[in-house]
Amino acid sequence: MQNVIQRELLINATAERIYNAIAKPEQLVKWFPDSVTGDYRQGSHAQFKFGENHKSNVFVEAASPNHYFAYRWVPGGNNFTDDVLTVPHTLVEFRITELAPGRCKVSLTETGFANLPPEIAANSFSENSGGWDFMLGRLQQYFMAEAK
Amino acid sequence: MSQAAVAQLFKALGDPVRLQMVQRLSNGAALCLGELSKDLGISRQGARKQIQTLVSARVVQLHPRGREVKVQLDAAALAQGRAFIASLEAQWEQRLQALKQFTEQ
Repeated sequence: MQNVIQRELLINATAERIYNAIAKPEQLVKWFPDSVTGDYRQGSHAQFKFGENHKSNVFVEAASPNHYFAYRWVPGGNNFTDDVLTVPHTLVEFRITELAPGRCKVSLTETGFANLPPEIAANSFSENSGGWDFMLGRLQQYFMAEAK
Repeated sequence: MSQAAVAQLFKALGDPVRLQMVQRLSNGAALCLGELSKDLGISRQGARKQIQTLVSARVVQLHPRGREVKVQLDAAALAQGRAFIASLEAQWEQRLQALKQFTEQ
């Protein structure tokens, strides 16, 4: 079973507008990476740049206009610039559901954390130690989402 | 905690039965094997195996109490796993808010 991150939010915009913000490099850079190079299309490799030094290669898994967009990458604040398909990675998926004209639910899932090499997880660790209830609630959410 | 142990931790928690056991221990109680595996649909042998996985990942510790063994959570190990997932979740929260702002303009 994989570990999962899941987030949802409501956006007052059309599905097309939201999809383009995710799938078109010139719009993606307005809210996510600072730049996108390479071929950001289904079945191709591209590279996100964050700030001056941080780069992250991505492989675009799927691109279904106005509904679904997914890519694979290596998360956790590391600087991974090789072919992500050759190493353990996570799958990031955006799903767009139109609830009413101009109003959509956007679901984000990231799956595959159990397969990641330990140094990636360790890089992002802090000394943070929170309460049990908080932690277990979160863990259950992440780990059980796939089992449902 | 070594880096390899961190990966082991994530795998140890990625199982419904083991996660259920961890939840039973979440108030800090020390439970015996029977209390820990009750109504989980697994044999005593199976329960031992699951608990051993949690011990190896340093999710729980075993404390001999007379003739039986009590199982208790290892708080430090789980806190690190939580920090990793929480930091990634916080990143997504920020990004999605940025997406919302951009598309609602």
